[in-house]
Amino acid sequence: MFSSHLKRASFGLAAAGILAAASIGAQAQQKEIKIGVIYDYTGPLAAGGSSLQALGAKIVIDYFNSQGGVEGYKINAIYADAQSKPDVAINEAVRLIEQENVDMLLGFYSSAQCVPVSAKVDALKKFMWITTCISPAVLKDRNLKYVFRAQPHGGLFGLQSPEFLAHYAKDRLGIEPGDLKVAIIHEDGAYGSGVAGGNKAGAKQQGFKVVLKEGYSATAPDLSSLVTKLKRARPDVILHTGYNPDITLFLRQARELGLRFKALVGHGAGYGVPDKLFDAFGKDANHIFNVDPVSIWLVSPEVLEPGLPDITRMVGEQYRKAEPDTKEFSAHVGMAASNSYVFFSDVLPRAIKKYGGIDADSLRQAALETDIPVGGTLMGYGVKFNPPEHEMAGQNDRASPVIVQYIDNKAHIVWPKALQSLDPVLPLPKDSPYAK
Amino acid sequence: MDTIFDIYLLEALINGLLFGGVLALLSLGLNLIFGVVDVVWICYAEVVMFGMYAIFWLHGVYDLPIVLAALLAIIGTGAMGFLVHFLVISPILGSAPINQLLATGGLLFFLQSFATLLWGIEFRNIGLRLPVLQWGELFFSYARLLAFGIAVIGMAAIYLFLTRTYMGTAIRAISQDREIMTLMGVDSRKVYLVTSVVGGSLAGLAASLLVLQYDVHPFVGLSFGPITFVICVMGGLGNMVGGFIAAFILSEVISIGGFYAELEWGYVAAFVLFIIVMFIRPEGILGKKS
Repeated sequence: MFSSHLKRASFGLAAAGILAAASIGAQAQQKEIKIGVIYDYTGPLAAGGSSLQALGAKIVIDYFNSQGGVEGYKINAIYADAQSKPDVAINEAVRLIEQENVDMLLGFYSSAQCVPVSAKVDALKKFMWITTCISPAVLKDRNLKYVFRAQPHGGLFGLQSPEFLAHYAKDRLGIEPGDLKVAIIHEDGAYGSGVAGGNKAGAKQQGFKVVLKEGYSATAPDLSSLVTKLKRARPDVILHTGYNPDITLFLRQARELGLRFKALVGHGAGYGVPDKLFDAFGKDANHIFNVDPVSIWLVSPEVLEPGLPDITRMVGEQYRKAEPDTKEFSAHVGMAASNSYVFFSDVLPRAIKKYGGIDADSLRQAALETDIPVGGTLMGYGVKFNPPEHEMAGQNDRASPVIVQYIDNKAHIVWPKALQSLDPVLPLPKDSPYAK
Repeated sequence: MDTIFDIYLLEALINGLLFGGVLALLSLGLNLIFGVVDVVWICYAEVVMFGMYAIFWLHGVYDLPIVLAALLAIIGTGAMGFLVHFLVISPILGSAPINQLLATGGLLFFLQSFATLLWGIEFRNIGLRLPVLQWGELFFSYARLLAFGIAVIGMAAIYLFLTRTYMGTAIRAISQDREIMTLMGVDSRKVYLVTSVVGGSLAGLAASLLVLQYDVHPFVGLSFGPITFVICVMGGLGNMVGGFIAAFILSEVISIGGFYAELEWGYVAAFVLFIIVMFIRPEGILGKKS
């Protein structure tokens, strides 16, 4: 009798033990960080670079999950499509936060989406990690607490091109910087306006003559009046910021209407997808410059911390697997991959280990302590976020873009000089239909 | 260069005229369909988008000569016109206009999403770079000149079709009084179908010319749909000559406005003009008072 009681009790105890162990196991398995990932998978911005950015983020998320997650947390990513529309981006952000109960948001390609979404997410006290959108307006004078951006901001994009031109104006173009005529044209959203603002400030700093500065809608069906005005203003250099359909329309109409210039400098987005430019214009796309965060595949492995070149290689392999037809790797994929990698390798582990969790305040504290030196990210630049009292709080102070020049669908770094892999071809060679 | 009239203004004027050709061609089919079937195809620009894709695949990928690709695209969009009428419009012909508008609006989203599903979000172009036409300091877009010429020819052809053929006469008769013609033994369903096929084919014709100048993507219709609709309304919905005139007025306002002020102001001026016309003549420039 007794023995059977004992037996039963020990059996029960064992069962309870197994159950408890199972529940702990289940708990361990369930430990996850739920992240809403928002990019544009449809609509005009998707092919303008957003879907490539989304791919970069996904590759990194999948990579960390394949390594068992981050500090015991599995990454549960919920991907949402902003459809190239700011209102959809806001709705998706709110849906992910309120209905899907995500712990944070990551992504965002379009500045027009970033500006309203960041305010909304900050008001909801959720953490937002921006991989891409560059407009200064997202962070400037807004004192956002939970929004962080590892990406260089658009003002820097705008300043970079005048600095580069001032350096080469006399030597290559035979024009004193004070006499250099530049035209600034841009799509009129937050992104284009932000960069163009930087262009204007940079041109003023360098003493250029700005002969035309004008915005236009990225969906405008006709840009011929703009081209005609440019012909009349006769700029030596055109500084252009736009998405994709507008860039190809502009270049096509510029060619048809006989617009001539000595150099064309693009600033990311549509200019960041050389495959598309060369598809549409063939050799005519040669010698276009583009200001963008550096493509991770152009960064010399020697300047990076050990281990990072392997990640770059892994991202490239996964990119090739997902898009087998790619001829030249787009900087877009590497950009999102690098900026996502910073979050998962630096911020998230610190939040979990030091601040005990993945809530917005822990993530914020961890992000504020980020201190990555130059060479510590896939893109080569360091990461240190501006403190809360800064006018651009949450912006990475150590990020800056580079300038590349496209020749036969290959990108070569031409600026800053320290990273230069090609002496820039300036002015446009005479065989270009745009050559002055 | 500081004079008000300079060579660049002339260029802007010509650009406006040529852009008007593109818009006129787009408005032709939409107006024809509305004039006869009395249903506005909000999704008309999306039919054009399918035509552009057809040419991209046939010419850009399968290397068919561009003219043959364009012909096949015109036949394809004609067939699409048939299907749109047969499957979507025909069942709701008797419903309230708002329901018809919603149905074709729904079709717009369907076609955009369907194109995304079929061909992805990539921007594609046929990679054709037409020669540049230069006359002194003036440059002309070859593609636009072609579009302008074909718009004029298309307009004349449609006019001849409507006035010189039996079917054209039937179409005009139906557009004047749909009830009485049915009583006189005209098969209105057949007339509607023919009109939709012709309207669809015109979308294919517009696509053949647009594809020379624009990248194809599922949302290309967003650049043209609204302005085409505005042109049709301003000209008098259903009135092809009115649409033609409105296309050139609006394109010139956009072009000249954009030349003197910022580009966006050209569009602002065009839409202000549209609103003014709507106040003065709600039926449109050449529309009939209902």
